[in-house]
Amino acid sequence: MMEMGDWWRRGKWRIMVMLTMLHIVGILIFTRGFLLTRTELPYYSNCSDVSESPCFTGQSNPYQNQSNSRCWTRPAVDRLVIIVLDALRFDFVAPSTFFKEPKPWMDKLQVLQKLASTKRSARIFKAIADPPTTSLQRLKGLTTGGLPTFIDVGNSFGAPAILEDNLIHQVDNGCIEHLLPSLYEEDWDVLIAHFLGVDHAGHILGVDSVPMIEKLEQYNEILDKVIEVLDNQSGPGGLHENTFLLVMGDHGQTINGDHGGGSAEEVETSVFAMSFKKPPPTMPSEFDTSSCEMDLDQKKTCISSFQQLDFAATVSALLGVPFPFGRCRPAVICCGQASDAGYLLFSIGRVSPELYTLGAGTWNLENNIEGNCPNQKEEEWMQNYCNVLCINSWQVKRYIDIYSASSVIGFSSEDLLHISDMYAQAEENWSCSSESLLLFKDESCYSSLPLKRKIDAYFKFLLNVAELARSKWTEFDLKMMGIGFVIILISLPIYFLAMMTKSVNGFSSLLFGDSEIFVKLVFALFMVVIRACSFLSNSYILEEGKVASFLLATTAMFKLRNSIKREKMLVEVAVHWASESDVLSSMLMLQGIGRNFIPRIIYAVGLGQLLLLAFSPLFHKDRDLESKMHLLIKTLAMLSSCSSTIIVLSGKQGPLVALVTITGGYCIMRLGNIDRGSTDKVAGILTFDPLSVTQWSLLATCLFFVTGHWCAFDGLRYGAAFIGYDEFVLVRQAILLMIDTFGFSHIIPVFGLPFLVARQKLLGHTDQDGRLLLLQLSQMYLMYGLITAASVIATILCVIIQRRHLMVWGLFAPKFVFDVVGLILTDILICLAWFYYVGRREDGTQLTTLDHRD
Amino acid sequence: MVKASTTENPSQSVSPMQTFFIHLICGVGLAVGLWVAHNFYSISLISNPSRTLRLIWVTMCPLVILFYSCFRKNPEKCSYLKAVIRGVLALPIGALVNALGAIALGAPVGIQYFVPAASVFGSSWEDWRRIFAHTKPNASVDYMICLPAHGAVIGAWFGAWPMPLDWERPWQEWPICVSYGAMAGYLITMVLSFVLVLPRGRQQHPKAD
Repeated sequence: MMEMGDWWRRGKWRIMVMLTMLHIVGILIFTRGFLLTRTELPYYSNCSDVSESPCFTGQSNPYQNQSNSRCWTRPAVDRLVIIVLDALRFDFVAPSTFFKEPKPWMDKLQVLQKLASTKRSARIFKAIADPPTTSLQRLKGLTTGGLPTFIDVGNSFGAPAILEDNLIHQVDNGCIEHLLPSLYEEDWDVLIAHFLGVDHAGHILGVDSVPMIEKLEQYNEILDKVIEVLDNQSGPGGLHENTFLLVMGDHGQTINGDHGGGSAEEVETSVFAMSFKKPPPTMPSEFDTSSCEMDLDQKKTCISSFQQLDFAATVSALLGVPFPFGRCRPAVICCGQASDAGYLLFSIGRVSPELYTLGAGTWNLENNIEGNCPNQKEEEWMQNYCNVLCINSWQVKRYIDIYSASSVIGFSSEDLLHISDMYAQAEENWSCSSESLLLFKDESCYSSLPLKRKIDAYFKFLLNVAELARSKWTEFDLKMMGIGFVIILISLPIYFLAMMTKSVNGFSSLLFGDSEIFVKLVFALFMVVIRACSFLSNSYILEEGKVASFLLATTAMFKLRNSIKREKMLVEVAVHWASESDVLSSMLMLQGIGRNFIPRIIYAVGLGQLLLLAFSPLFHKDRDLESKMHLLIKTLAMLSSCSSTIIVLSGKQGPLVALVTITGGYCIMRLGNIDRGSTDKVAGILTFDPLSVTQWSLLATCLFFVTGHWCAFDGLRYGAAFIGYDEFVLVRQAILLMIDTFGFSHIIPVFGLPFLVARQKLLGHTDQDGRLLLLQLSQMYLMYGLITAASVIATILCVIIQRRHLMVWGLFAPKFVFDVVGLILTDILICLAWFYYVGRREDGTQLTTLDHRD
Repeated sequence: MVKASTTENPSQSVSPMQTFFIHLICGVGLAVGLWVAHNFYSISLISNPSRTLRLIWVTMCPLVILFYSCFRKNPEKCSYLKAVIRGVLALPIGALVNALGAIALGAPVGIQYFVPAASVFGSSWEDWRRIFAHTKPNASVDYMICLPAHGAVIGAWFGAWPMPLDWERPWQEWPICVSYGAMAGYLITMVLSFVLVLPRGRQQHPKAD
């Protein structure tokens, strides 16, 4: 017991290192459960693969010889034009009669509506995306037919920054210029045009705005022209004899123009599909799930819906390329984002019957002119569709097999068994193959029943797989999360223990003795709890900076009240408030940073200073640490060496923010000083003012937001990474970015914390024990670490609670990542600061001597 | 604190009836302000916050200054007129404090908080400190001033809470919900102070007899 206590006392630094390790381990475990990433498979579908499938048993693949790598299924269309309108809401396309009340932005794309209602070869679909509904993510989902995971989203949030400065109307100009000429060229199979205007108009002005309506009207014109061109060339022998046009959105948007979440408005987007092949296709009614309404002209418009997941498989089936897109020649114009369409992976999607029919129905009719059965067309269709589904299912099965073999976080064995069963069930009595049908061909019309049953079996299999994948890839590993959370939670009592080691009976004296410090402690606790609770709501996370500054102001007022009680000054608080208002205006002003040369010198000088400081204790081993002046000087030196780099990195606003930091810190110090007097005497337990430390950490939080950061990946100021350097080197730029992001909010506050001790010593009682000083310092650091850890724990708890929240990837997860990085950084910095200010040797001896004296 | 206990003059011990009336008048004044704004100018706090607040201010100000000046601290030294003038002078100071407070809380609490106190206490720093820093009211007047003032501030503090939420209601704009919070806090604590004054009044009356 004695040894244990001794160990505790001697090894404050050990405790800190231990806490750091504890945090890192806990966070790693938690993250593993929370941020599941799907392993991407380095395999591509190839033409030859298909011979392994059971779908062509007994005969060679009839399509294998065809050129152009279209080999899996019989190609239904020759060319495909895909026009992606970013953030296309469902009600932009569908006639307003489908909705309760017409809105100004409805019925603007009238070309599509007219075609959908008059032509049988055109139809509007409602496509349902899987959240998160961000563009890059959706495009990837569209082309691969996969489900999103978090890490992908991370990439996507960075993307809008590239396009940010484009004006709404400039965005699409390139697209428009290139689209029409490309239609006349022959060197592509798939043409993808990506229009961003609607997305931008939505983001900037919202859906219900004039530019949005103008934009939609402009698209109407463009689409009109495109369709005209395609239609003109669609005669026999024409360039677009067998072309399939798709106008589609990648996701929807809310009325405010936001997207990323999982609300109906965001996930529902529309696809308009049109085949230029004549005559129009037909399809068995039992697979038709569309709902019909009269449109404005009293014509019947039908709308079907399908999952966006199925899109890739359907389109590949139409093109006859390996599922999904193998290597056809994609002509991707003006979007850059979707340019990887040629190299994508596997799909778990299902070939959608309606969409497939629109294209595939076309050649059925030609092939069977001689048929004399009344429903032979349907038979033919079903046979084809059955064939496609066979390959589709086989490919999905293969994907699942390979995936579960190669990935750590795979599916459970029961699930796999279940899937295999279903696949076997669908596979047995393979009867939609050609020869089995040919047997009956001479007789009368064959029964469609086995075919239908077959298709149903495939449907069941594919739907089950999609459901399973959805539940697995968007599922969290609660066990891991729980373990990680508990590990981090353990650190809290350790903080308390470490702070209380001084004297056990101090705790009771804290509770019953000095009421004032008790009130303050309760108040500080109250603030931390309020802040923790605020993380539960996404809107509070969004406004976190303001919340922190509000709480800071509240604590300042509380302290002011106390200080008036003690008949002390008022001026500081006024200054404090003024500094906060300063913050608001600090976004403007100041221009011009020197060339690369100057920043580099500053980096070098800063680094040199740091090194000097780090090694100076080695040379003056015998130096007495007891004088608080020494501590003060050390702090100052440290700060000055760090701050120059940080200020340079934060660019224009750097100096102002530094000013704000200094005033804020000064005010907290003064306020802390004011009611020193009595607390100094109660040196037993808490030798410092808990409220000051709370304020200090609140100030740190404020600074994070004031410097223009926020908890999102596009909140990183990438520009800062290139101050002083033009070329990109990953490690160097990452370090600079790190310093910029966490400089003001973590590095400076942690190293500046001794000011709180040192200053009050200078002002207050001149003759103080150096050991007491050290004790105070250590307790303050522990307290600071405690507050940071507590708020991170609150974040983690909120993330656990809100893991089904619609904004979980948009807000909670980035917040979690930032907080966790911040916590680890704070831990490490506290360790460093501890070594720097206190040093190992002094720590152990001095604390024990102090203890003996007590 | 010394002053308060030594100067035992009749005007200072306010009877519960008086308290009730003053609070009633203030409450009614607030209501009248809102009512006038709603019916005559057809504006509300939500549609046009600044004008409505100005209207409330116009109705409240004379009421508050005139009535609270009746309870000035030492009537023999300080005439009624002087108290009124002091109250008027307190307005800009209140506005200044308000502006500072607005940054922190964003609340127009100046009227309720500052003016009555200025009218009653004048420049007695001791009393100010006693009321607002120590929260140790002694006489009935102290209760009348101290509680609603604190109530308004605390109400405004809580009133700021729903502001960041994304309900997209019109009243979530900046001054509106804070003003509502301040008013609610003010009214609640007015009732509370009346309840607290009641027993004191009963104690004092036999003494006066």
